[in-house]
Amino acid sequence: MTMPNPPDILTITIRKRPWWFWVLGGLWVLLEVLFLQTALASARESEHRAAAIGWILVAVFGAAGVLVWFLQGRSRGRAR
Amino acid sequence: MQGVDRNNNVERECKQTGRRAFLKAAGLIAAGGAPVGASALERGTSGNERKRAWWVKAVERPTLGEKTADFKRFSGDNIFVIYRQLKAQREGAGSFEAEQTAKAKRLAGWMREKKPGFRLPDHQLSEGAWTLMQTTEPGAGLLSWTRISVRTPAELGVERHTAPPEEMAQTVKAAARLYGAGLVGIAPMNEAYVNLRQQKKDIVLEDADVPAVTDTKFVIPRKMKWVVAMAIPMDLDLLSRAPTSLGDAATGLGYSHSAFAVASLAEFIRGLGYQAIPSVNDTALSVPFAVEAGIGELSRLNKLVTPEFGPAVRLCKVFTDLPMACDKPVDFGLVEFCKKCKKCAEACPSRALSFDDEPSFKTRGPWNNPGHKAWFEDSYKCFRYWQKVDNGCGICLASCPYTKGSQAWIHSVVKATAAVTPAADGFFRIMDNAFGYGRRHDPEQWWTKDPPPGPRG
Repeated sequence: MTMPNPPDILTITIRKRPWWFWVLGGLWVLLEVLFLQTALASARESEHRAAAIGWILVAVFGAAGVLVWFLQGRSRGRAR
Repeated sequence: MQGVDRNNNVERECKQTGRRAFLKAAGLIAAGGAPVGASALERGTSGNERKRAWWVKAVERPTLGEKTADFKRFSGDNIFVIYRQLKAQREGAGSFEAEQTAKAKRLAGWMREKKPGFRLPDHQLSEGAWTLMQTTEPGAGLLSWTRISVRTPAELGVERHTAPPEEMAQTVKAAARLYGAGLVGIAPMNEAYVNLRQQKKDIVLEDADVPAVTDTKFVIPRKMKWVVAMAIPMDLDLLSRAPTSLGDAATGLGYSHSAFAVASLAEFIRGLGYQAIPSVNDTALSVPFAVEAGIGELSRLNKLVTPEFGPAVRLCKVFTDLPMACDKPVDFGLVEFCKKCKKCAEACPSRALSFDDEPSFKTRGPWNNPGHKAWFEDSYKCFRYWQKVDNGCGICLASCPYTKGSQAWIHSVVKATAAVTPAADGFFRIMDNAFGYGRRHDPEQWWTKDPPPGPRG
């Protein structure tokens, strides 16, 4: 077993995320906070269905955001 | 459009008289200092101490309620009187009495079988809530047109209180809010909104110094040019249990709080050295004064809807000769929303509310005052349903998308968007249903709910 020789030149590429990514990310955080607050406040106001939908939105929207973040990172890796 | 012009004249009077009265009191006219004081007094709004949301816009004219020359003073006959007469006409003599007997038997049966929302404790909770209102009578007791117990400035050995109209309005509003008003505004007096009669006596406006109640008439002095309009928030937790005795308790509590608020405010104003007439549903129409005071807009319910509490408020007012700056009507996109929504009309079990797309001048019975544009309701159908469900209903109030608690931020986002983007109204109506708003809450859970019942639910 012989270790392969390291390349003579190692290239590290740092790509800046596009501006719209940060706008969408900010919007995602705002909506997550809004849905979370809706879920908590609706429960306090005995609006149980609204609270349940609020929790569902928090979960679905949160998972979708994490998924997009993850997939975007992978696609950037492949591009390199 | 005679009515509209008359309103404008009265409104000008409200501002100008207020300014003139203050300047006179301050001795500025005689001293030639009027221009100095005038510049600060011509804004025409009283400066609400409760800061309203940015999407509640002050406008020159109300968004609904356009009047014609047919608009006249209302008879003063309320639906209780009209229903009894119409019932006899439509269904024969004695039908009203028979209905009341059947209602009493049905109610007793529900109490015995412990029907949720109509058990004895539920019913008596409502009766207790109505207590203060039940003791009132126009011109007497809490609603006395003369002072009850307050000592006048003269008795205290001081001059009566004077201040610029804006400052005076803020002072009165602060007191009104302390006494229980969730919203308060100042409107100019409009004789057209004063009922013709009450308690079999005429209501007249005369050049008198003080209000009076005689054996034949109620006398409102013409110098009472200002109306303090107040909205008392109803308990949403109780209202969401309508139509039950618990829902009716929300109404009774709103009325009792109203009686307390107007009585206290009238005494406060008298204590400052001015005249005051407290009024709940009596003496004059509350809705048009509240609209002109900027408390809310006229809606599909043919009732006032406020941006903050929806239609879940009870209205009351105090007439006074205390000079104050008036507020302007408001527009928060309600009329456009009502055109598309119709949730109240669909929720109404008696089909009493209008499904028309546009408001019109077409009235639906003697309970409506003709000569103004509105979505008129069939109060006969509404009241007939009341007879089936204890004392009152309230489903329309609870179902309105503007009837919401104040804790969830999303409601403010939705109301703001509806105010500036009517295209989204239909979507918000669908989402309101999807989120389950306006559905009746379980009456039995009210007694054991956590946190326990308390002021403002």
